Amino acid sequence: MNSKEEFIKVIKENAGLIYKVTKVYTNSREDAQDLYQEIVYQLWKSFGSFRSESKISTWMYRIALNTAIVHLNKEKKKGSHLPIDEWLMNKPDLNDTLKEEQVEILYSQIKKLDTIEKGIILLYLDGKSYDEIAGITGFSNTNIGTRLGRIKQKLITQID
Amino acid sequence: MELEEMKTIWGEMSAEIEKQKKLTDSLIIKMTQVNYRSKISKIIVPETIGSLGCMATALFIFINFQQLGNWYLQVCGGASAVVSLLLAVLSLRAVNKLSSINISNNNFKQSLSDYSKGKIQFVFVQKLSFYLGAVLMLTILPVMCKLIDGVDLFKITRLWMGYAVAFPFFYWFTTWVFKRYKKIIQGAENILKELAEA
Repeated sequence: MNSKEEFIKVIKENAGLIYKVTKVYTNSREDAQDLYQEIVYQLWKSFGSFRSESKISTWMYRIALNTAIVHLNKEKKKGSHLPIDEWLMNKPDLNDTLKEEQVEILYSQIKKLDTIEKGIILLYLDGKSYDEIAGITGFSNTNIGTRLGRIKQKLITQID
Repeated sequence: MELEEMKTIWGEMSAEIEKQKKLTDSLIIKMTQVNYRSKISKIIVPETIGSLGCMATALFIFINFQQLGNWYLQVCGGASAVVSLLLAVLSLRAVNKLSSINISNNNFKQSLSDYSKGKIQFVFVQKLSFYLGAVLMLTILPVMCKLIDGVDLFKITRLWMGYAVAFPFFYWFTTWVFKRYKKIIQGAENILKELAEA
């Protein structure tokens, strides 16, 4: 398998991860499409240097979150982007209105958090351990625990 | 809704997302192509063109400096050349700092810190460029009139009156633009403060 085929396989297997980062860090469909492409592009650029010592999802999260940061505040610098339909970007078909509503509420509340908190809660909700979150974010385990406590309080207040 | 409950909802959603598999090979390949990555180039290209323009202006003045003739035009010429070069260097440095964040090797914290510092520097340079641009606007007009048309504006017009009229407008415009910059800097400083807590 050549590197392009391998890359396509990796992206397909982890497309949900990119979707979630994109969804949390953008507020419009156009920005989401733009960030999605930018993340795939950055992943492709770094794919050659990926060492399998770390999990592929850890590596992908690191690049996706870094790309999202650099993408911040550039919303006004619109550029051309591929017309990727939101469904292609792996929007979940939940077939359950209540669940869909809950997911939307969750996303909307996460979007209200600050840049750092968004990244941490995203990793936590995706089942990453404190060690993995620390590896991706660069914060200590203790700091992540403290921040998660604060985020929990914020989310509970927001949702209630 | 408790955090554990959120985690369960998130898990169910993630499982559904994994089932979608709607991305095609060709779409992924298209996304890896550089021509679609236009956001960064949207900033870099105009800044680079602007910087090259400034450098060309400085070079033009430098080559034709002797033709300026008298002392006040030479002072204007010298100031224009220095300001043009400064604008070019400052702009390129700031853009380079913003676009040189190591996305593949940095962790989240480093990237946020680098980006916020880069943003503060970028805004500082933009503010400085604004003032330098105003100086350039004042000095370059008589210089170019002399070099291109051979006319000494100081002798044939009341140039200072034009400057006096332009000043209030410039002051109002500066206040308006800097208000926007203040918000950007505050945002970046807040992130740095948050990071310092860690």
